[in-house]
Amino acid sequence: MSATKDYSNNVNPTWCPGCGHFSILRALQIAASRLEIPKESLVSVSGIGCSGRLSGYMSSYGFHGIHGRSLPIAQGIKLSNKDLTVVASGGDGDGFAIGLSHTLHAIRRNIDMTYVVMNNQVYGLTKGHTSPLSDVGFVTKSTPYGAIDSPIRPGILTLSSGATFFAQGFSAFQEELVEIIIKAIQHKGFSLVNVFSPCVTYNKVNTYQWFRHQLVNLQEDENYNPNDLQGAFNTLLNTNGLCTGLVYQRVDSEGRSETNDTPLSKLDLKITEEEFNRLMNAFK
Amino acid sequence: MVNNITILMGGIQGEGVVSAGINLMKTLSKLGYYTYGCRSFSSRIKGGNNTITLHASTEKILCIPDKSDIIIAFDDETIPQNIDKLKEDGLILYDSTLKDDGYKDYKSTPLPMTEIAKTAGSTIMKNTCGMAFIGRILGIDRLIFEESIKEKYAKKADSIITQNLKALELVYNHSIDIQMDHLILTGGDGFSRPLMIGNEAIALGALMAECRFMAAYPITPASEIMEYLGNLLPRYGGVMMQVEDEIAAVNMVIGASYAGTRAITATSGPGLSLMQEGIGLASMTETPLVIVDSQRVGPSTGLPTKHEQSDLYSLYYGGHGEYPSIILAPASVEDCYYDTIRAFNLADEYQCPVIILSDLSLSLSPQTIDPLTYNEDIINRGKLMDKGRENFEAFSFTEDGISQRVLPGTVGGEHHVTGLEHNQLGLPSNDSVNRRKMMDKRFKKIQPLESLQEVCLTKNHKESVLLLTFGSNYGIVKEAVELAGNKYDYGYIKVIKPLPKDQLKDLLDTYKKVIIIENNFHGQLAKIIIGQLGYKDKISSIHKYDGSPFTPFEILEELGGLI
Ligand SMILES: Cc1ncc(C[n+]2csc(CCOP(=O)(O)OP(=O)(O)O)c2C)c(N)n1
Ligand code: SF4
Repeated sequence: MSATKDYSNNVNPTWCPGCGHFSILRALQIAASRLEIPKESLVSVSGIGCSGRLSGYMSSYGFHGIHGRSLPIAQGIKLSNKDLTVVASGGDGDGFAIGLSHTLHAIRRNIDMTYVVMNNQVYGLTKGHTSPLSDVGFVTKSTPYGAIDSPIRPGILTLSSGATFFAQGFSAFQEELVEIIIKAIQHKGFSLVNVFSPCVTYNKVNTYQWFRHQLVNLQEDENYNPNDLQGAFNTLLNTNGLCTGLVYQRVDSEGRSETNDTPLSKLDLKITEEEFNRLMNAFK
Repeated sequence: MVNNITILMGGIQGEGVVSAGINLMKTLSKLGYYTYGCRSFSSRIKGGNNTITLHASTEKILCIPDKSDIIIAFDDETIPQNIDKLKEDGLILYDSTLKDDGYKDYKSTPLPMTEIAKTAGSTIMKNTCGMAFIGRILGIDRLIFEESIKEKYAKKADSIITQNLKALELVYNHSIDIQMDHLILTGGDGFSRPLMIGNEAIALGALMAECRFMAAYPITPASEIMEYLGNLLPRYGGVMMQVEDEIAAVNMVIGASYAGTRAITATSGPGLSLMQEGIGLASMTETPLVIVDSQRVGPSTGLPTKHEQSDLYSLYYGGHGEYPSIILAPASVEDCYYDTIRAFNLADEYQCPVIILSDLSLSLSPQTIDPLTYNEDIINRGKLMDKGRENFEAFSFTEDGISQRVLPGTVGGEHHVTGLEHNQLGLPSNDSVNRRKMMDKRFKKIQPLESLQEVCLTKNHKESVLLLTFGSNYGIVKEAVELAGNKYDYGYIKVIKPLPKDQLKDLLDTYKKVIIIENNFHGQLAKIIIGQLGYKDKISSIHKYDGSPFTPFEILEELGGLI
C-alpha cells in the first residue's frame, strides 16, 4: 500500500493560502496512492502558471515545461513509454489560450493519459489578467473596463472535439475530485478533467462561495447517464457548464492504437547488416 | 568520347520529366558513373515549367557545372528559359510536336518522343523516350534500359512493360541525322552505387541511430524526412506523427526523448522560428534533442522552393537567454547520414539540443553516393544510468558539467525537471550563486568540442589562400578550385557551433587570406567567426542571396576581385 505522503516531496508550495490548486495537488496524490501507481511509473507534466508549479511538488517523475505545451510533452512521453502513467496539468490560460490547439489535437489523438485543467478563469501567475474562460464583464488589469469577448466553453468544446472522457470537479469537493481523477486515470484514452479552482487573490467573482451556489452535482442526479453524449451536451448547455461529476465517458474507448506492445523506449533497436543492405538496395 | 556530361531536361511540371531524369541518374549510377542532379521548381503545384539538370561523370562530383552539353525540351518554355546555360557547341533536342526552336546558332534537332510514345501505346511514355534517347546518345546499351524497365514495372501489368520495351526499341532504331559521337561517355567503373537525396540519408541515419520517434509538420525542403521515416519507422516498431504545428513537434520530441526514445523533428526556417522556445527548454532541462533545419530563403515565407543558408544567426542568437547547443553541417549526402548518427550521440552525450543544418540543395539534390558503411557499434548514450539513487540529482555539478541521467520508470530515480532555473535536484531555485553555477555547468559541457578538428581540408600547397565554406557549397567550391588549376586550399566546417576554435585559429594564423563562401546577405558564418576569433583583416567573404546556389564560375569571378 502506498500512502498519500509518498507522492509528496515535502516542498512547500508557493501558492497563496486558500488557492484552489492545493486541493488539486492533494487529490492527485490521493488518487495515485489509491491506485497504487508506483512512484517511478508516474510522470506529472505541467505548464506555466501558478498551476504549473504542481509537478514540482510531486514525488514522482516531473516535467515542468513551457507555457501552453504540457500536452505535446506529455504525449511524447506516453508514446515513448506506454507503461508510464502520464498526468498533465495546467491553468485555463495554458490549456485554452496559448495551448488551445494542442488541447484539441490531444483530444483527437485519444492517447491514454489524463489532463487536469486547473481552471480559475484568470491568469494568476501574471498577477491578474483576463483568461479566455473569464466571464463577460470580468475586470482585470488587462480588461479594466470588463472583458468583452464571450468565454470559451470548455465542456462543449471538448465534447465536440470528440473527447472520450470529460469530467469536472471543484477544489472544495475533495473527495469527488479524487474519484474523478481516479476514473480519469483508469479511462483508456485521453481524459480531460476541468477543475474549478478558485484564485483567491485575483478572482473576486468566481469564489468558493459563488461556486457552491452555482454548481450542480451530476452524481446526485440518479437519471444522469454519462455515456450519453447528447445528454452530456444538454446538461452542459442547461447548467452553463457549471456542473461537477463525470460528464461523459465513451465506454468503448481503447485509446490510440499503438503499433506494438513494447514501449518504444524498450524496443530491440538493432538493425542487422542484411537488413541495412536491403534498405540501401532500394536506392539502386 | 567524354568523361563527363551535363544534361538539362525540362517540361511541364507533373508530366514526369524529373522522374525520367532521376531514372536516368539511377541507371548511370548502376553502371558506375557518379551523378549529381539539381531540380528547379515551378511555383505552381501542377503545370508550369520545371527542369532537372544532371551531371554524370566517371569521377565523384557534387555540383552542376555552369553550362550544359545538352538541353532536352518537352515544352516550349524550357529552351528560351535555359538557353543561357547551354555551352556554345551544345546540343538542343526537342520534342517534334513543339514548334521549331529557332535557335539557329546551336546544333539542334527535333526528336519524335511523343510520337514514338503514342505509337508504342501511350503519350505518357514520352519521358521514357527522352531518357532512352539520351541513353543512346551517351552510348548506353539498350539492354541496360530493358532491365531497368522490367525492374521498375515488375509489379505492373505486363502490357505496361511491353509498351515501354516497344518505345525503347523504336527510340534505339530511330535514325538521328546529327553528329553526336563526341557525346559518348567513357565507360563507368561498373560498380553499382546508390542514388540518394540528403533528406533520405538523414532519415536513414536516424533509423540506424536507433531513433524510433518523429513528430513533424510538413515544410519544403524538409518533408521528405518525415515521409521516409513515416514509411520506415512503423516497420521497426517506431512512430512518425504529423502534428498540429512545429511547437507541438519539438515539444513532443522533447517528451519522447526525456522518456528515453531517441527522437527527431525536421523543419525549415519558419518552423525553426516556432521551435525556438522548445529548443531553450531542451537545453535548460538538459534533454537530448535532435532537429534538422533544412534552410530555404527567408525571412517569413521567403522563397519557399529556393536555396539559402541564412539560419545561422537564428540558430546562434534566435532563442531567448543563453544556452549551449551544437550545430552540425553536413556537406554531402554521405555526411548527412553519418552526421545524423553523430547528432544523436552528441545529444545523448552532452544532453543538449543538436541541430543538423542542411540546405535546400543538400536536402533535395539527388547524388550518386559511395556505399554507406554498416557499423554494429555506433551508439553512445552518454551518462544514461539504469539505476536511481536516493535524492537523485539529475543536475549534479560534475567535473565535465554533465550529470547522470535516468529515465522515468527507473526505480529510485524520481526527479523533477523544469525550464525554470533549478538546483541540482531539478527543483526551481532563485539562488544567485546556484544560477551562476548552473550556467557555468551548462556551458562547460560542450567546451571540449571547441578543440576538435572539424574543418575538412584539401591542401594544394600553392597559394596561401584558404576557401572555407559549409553545406552544399562545398562541392561547388571544390569544382571551382579544380577549374582554376588547384591553386587554392579549400575546406568546409563540419561543426558550426561550437566553432572548432583551436583549429580555426591555427588556420587563420597559417593563411594570408581566408575567404568564406556562403549563401546569405550578411556573410553570417564569416561574422560569427570574426566575432569569436577576430582576424577581421584576414577574413573576407563571398555571399550570394538570390535563391540559387553558386555556380563554380561565379565563385571564380568573385575570387578574382578578392585575390
Ligand atoms: C510564451 C509565454 N508567454 C507568456 C508567458 C507569461 N505567463 C506565465 S503564466 C501565464 C498565464 C497563467 O495563467 P493560467 O495558465 O490560467 O494559470 P494560473 O497562473 O492561473 O494557474 C502567462 C501569460 C509565458 N511564460 N510564456
Ligand atoms: S495568484 Fe491565484 S492562482 Fe496563483 S497561487 Fe495565488 S490564489 Fe492561486
